[in-house]
Amino acid sequence: MSRRKKQNPFPGGLVGGSYKPLKDGDVEKIHKATMKVFENTGIQVNDERALKAFHDAGAQVDFDQKMVKATEDWIMKTIKTAPESITLYGREDKHNMDLDGFKVYIGTGGTATNVLDIDTGKRRPSTMEDVQKAARLVDALENIHYFVISCFPNELEKENVDVNRFYGALRNTTKHVMGGVYTKEGVRNIAKYAEMIAGSKEALLEKPFVSFITCVMSPLVMDKDYTDLMLTAIETGLPLATPTAPMAGSTSPGTLAGTLVQMNAEALSGVLLTQIVNPGHPVLYSCVPTTSDLRTGAFCFGSIEMGMMNAACAQLSRFYRLPNYTTAGVNEAKIPDIQSGYESMATTMLCALAGSNYIHDAAGLLESGMSISYEQYVVDNDILGMCMRAVKGIEVNDETLATEVINDVGPAGNYLSHEHTVMNMNKEFFYNKVSDRNTRARWEIEGEIDAREKARRMAIEILKTHKPLFIDQHIEQKIIQEIPGMLSEWLD
Amino acid sequence: MTQIMEDIIENLIDGQTKKVVALVEQAIAEGIAAKDILNKGLLAGMNEVGVLFKEGELFVPEVLVSAKAMNAGMEVIKPLLKEGDIQKSGTVLLATVKGDLHDIGVNLVAMMLEGAGYEVVNIGVDASPEKIVESVKKIQPDLIGMSAMLTTTMASMKDTITALEESGLSDKVKIMVGGSPVSKDYADKIGANYAGDATAAVELANELLGR
Repeated sequence: MSRRKKQNPFPGGLVGGSYKPLKDGDVEKIHKATMKVFENTGIQVNDERALKAFHDAGAQVDFDQKMVKATEDWIMKTIKTAPESITLYGREDKHNMDLDGFKVYIGTGGTATNVLDIDTGKRRPSTMEDVQKAARLVDALENIHYFVISCFPNELEKENVDVNRFYGALRNTTKHVMGGVYTKEGVRNIAKYAEMIAGSKEALLEKPFVSFITCVMSPLVMDKDYTDLMLTAIETGLPLATPTAPMAGSTSPGTLAGTLVQMNAEALSGVLLTQIVNPGHPVLYSCVPTTSDLRTGAFCFGSIEMGMMNAACAQLSRFYRLPNYTTAGVNEAKIPDIQSGYESMATTMLCALAGSNYIHDAAGLLESGMSISYEQYVVDNDILGMCMRAVKGIEVNDETLATEVINDVGPAGNYLSHEHTVMNMNKEFFYNKVSDRNTRARWEIEGEIDAREKARRMAIEILKTHKPLFIDQHIEQKIIQEIPGMLSEWLD
Repeated sequence: MTQIMEDIIENLIDGQTKKVVALVEQAIAEGIAAKDILNKGLLAGMNEVGVLFKEGELFVPEVLVSAKAMNAGMEVIKPLLKEGDIQKSGTVLLATVKGDLHDIGVNLVAMMLEGAGYEVVNIGVDASPEKIVESVKKIQPDLIGMSAMLTTTMASMKDTITALEESGLSDKVKIMVGGSPVSKDYADKIGANYAGDATAAVELANELLGR
């Protein structure tokens, strides 16, 4: 019994919501301001199909200027068909995620074009091998709840990227896989082989273990290519995130509230298009509010304001009764170091405490998302665990108040050998894996290594020993034969 | 017999004191020799606990609760054990040195050593060199463990070792030291052995006493 597998006491799905960066009434103010933007300014939609769809659904469309304006009534009525909660599935049911209320799940993000090589530590262009290894690492790291495809396979032709990137991810983890897409053909083929893996289209849509990301641009633009991809993704019926990434001070106002207003208009635009084209389509209210460092104009992914704004998105999405996709944990550090640690922790913690449903980018990314690092995944696994622990909060009841135990032990006693301590030691405390809590003497004996090196060794060990649940051999062969552009060799 | 021994081991690892006691009583009733219950049940279980602890599978509180269960089992068979049945690991005298009132660390070391089968005499806090010398004469331990929490009281470790030398006891007993200000360098300098934490203390005791 002692050698029982200890259950993760701080799993994905714990309920946050204690941190509310927006005060009572502020959410409504942001909503009203957003409605003004829709009525007075409008959004530019550079795709004919989308423009027509907005028009047919009753928005005010200026086809010459490609501008869409709308009233509050129309917007609130149109988004009503969007589901209030969405379940994103894993290939194994233990990884299913119920995005609802203030439930918290945290995972990875993309799409980096570089990787810090695990052997040399040097930055190099990322490849299919990195896509697969990152997925496999995440499969083994218990506090990372899903896998947003991490990096771009630079060696592939653009038309072959989508199918191989998604397959490389799906094959190496049974956690939910989400990813950005580059071609319409790719989107369709991914849906096609996902159906083969699920058994049928119905089975896939019943339990979607794969989903897409297509972006809205700041300020206030639905881009031609992305919107085309968005419409194609909607056709598959698979869940969709339509993130927008305003940078406060450069592509959105230089105030946090103003950035939230503009971002809200952009995030709602994505939701609106999905509901017009396919009422009831599973869509996430998708947010990537960031900042600019106005000393240089540099893009900032790891600023504290970014954490605060993304946390606020949990409140905004609840106002619209939509599940949310937010962003945290990515940073501006070039290597896994002190900066990557504190920046990742600060923003992820804020979003987790706020009760964000799907906090992405929160593992493995460095350099404003330009690079991934194997070590960083392992470090972030600790950070995410700490955040989930904080989300769970302090449990107060007769058993935890422990007055009888205090009486039992009495003054000058100790609690280490008390049954009560044994009963609670796993559910009350999070045990970091990377953090060194040993004495200095033991640290010296073990080679005086820092967190990065320790994490690197752990990553190497996982990649050497961990075998994910691969996709059935026959189905895999069928996919390789029938889907154009598929690679035939995959990581063992 | 094997099944009941396995049950004792299993429940010992789980820290199930009552079940261990009941199983030990049952084993006695079945006519199993006390010596076998000790060696193949209780001590075998504690060995397993030690292994699991080292692997990170068991935590400190679990080891201590297992040790409690073992002691409860021991109480049952003690009257039945004959001279020579118990192979003692050794006796360890523990103290927090003069001027120092911190005892959490030394208590933890005591419990861990007991869990590993040592007989431990903890003479408590603020133990002067004279008091330690006297206790050594009386108890005749195989090993002395001294703890200090403060840099100001650490010096008392050296005074104690000097006092032991002057009393002609330093050859008869091994000495280990620990505590947050203490380092291996300091231990080397004063002619003692260093343990960085409670686990290291057990490992060091095993090494020094040739277990």
